[in-house]
Amino acid sequence: MISIADEIICYAECVNNSDLLPLITFLIVVSLFLFTFYLKTKTPIHRVISFAGAQLSMVGAIAATFSTMECSRMLTIEVYLAYVLISTGVMLFLPGLYYKILIRRHNARPISEIVDWADDFVNKLANNSQIYYFDSAIPKAFASGKAIFVSVGMLEIFDQQELKAVLAHEAWHLRHNNKTPILRQLSLMTFTKYRPEQELELMADRFAEEIVGKGPLESARAKLI
Amino acid sequence: MVKIDRINISNEGLTKFFSPIEAQIMKVLWENNELMTSEITKKTNIPLSSVAGTLDRLVKADFAQRRVENQGQRVRYIYSATTTADNAANAITTRILDSLVDTFGAVAIENFSSYKKSK
Repeated sequence: MISIADEIICYAECVNNSDLLPLITFLIVVSLFLFTFYLKTKTPIHRVISFAGAQLSMVGAIAATFSTMECSRMLTIEVYLAYVLISTGVMLFLPGLYYKILIRRHNARPISEIVDWADDFVNKLANNSQIYYFDSAIPKAFASGKAIFVSVGMLEIFDQQELKAVLAHEAWHLRHNNKTPILRQLSLMTFTKYRPEQELELMADRFAEEIVGKGPLESARAKLI
Repeated sequence: MVKIDRINISNEGLTKFFSPIEAQIMKVLWENNELMTSEITKKTNIPLSSVAGTLDRLVKADFAQRRVENQGQRVRYIYSATTTADNAANAITTRILDSLVDTFGAVAIENFSSYKKSK
């Protein structure tokens, strides 16, 4: 039977007798300060940073507390620590592997089966990338991890130059994908409205424009409206 | 898409069983052997944005089938109906009759019989 009261008594006894008490106190104060700041601030980036900082300080305090423990009744802390480790792992590694889930979900096939130039074109813009097509008449393209996904519907309506514009746009996302998913995950965890999408799309469009010119990009956009 | 609970007997023609866009697409697929997406949008006069999702649904529901063809530098879907209009009518009728017999049993069968005689 888990008793929170027993855990608190155990915690108090062990920590009081430890040399790490000042460090633990400091980390908890920092964590509380950052969490209060997170609740008060309205700026998205400050919310994300303060939340991440509060979490890290608390993990530090827990790790220090853990090292002082001489009894083993801190189940709630163990559960919390497991949550932090698992969620951090998911946050760091899932975005890079998610494209493999998408390949299965869409039953996607390598685009080289039906379009011979696309792999070479994209690999010049983003190394080691893979391009897949999937069965849908709805014109759609997106990038995830190391892969770009294009629906047959999109391949149908665009000519080669327009497709190059779309692929260059998605290749830009692949090149910058290492930054955006973690921020997205953090913004979800911190309940912060983080909407860089429009900005990112504009930057990707600018990149595509540099590669294929304005004409194909605009005609591709017009076909999607 | 021919779900018993979605059938609307007060609608006209095929729209009793399909949505208006689905009905138009199925009609042109039954009238033609094979069609490209652009031909379907032209013959139905429905924009691609509405046709595309409906085609995905018709393929998933097995009323239509498609294959990918590579013509020169362009990739195309080629669509056809999976079955004739008569066979589709047969399948729909059977589904409705099954549902009526499940619900009303002998009364439904008796009614079919008297309906047949009156015709």
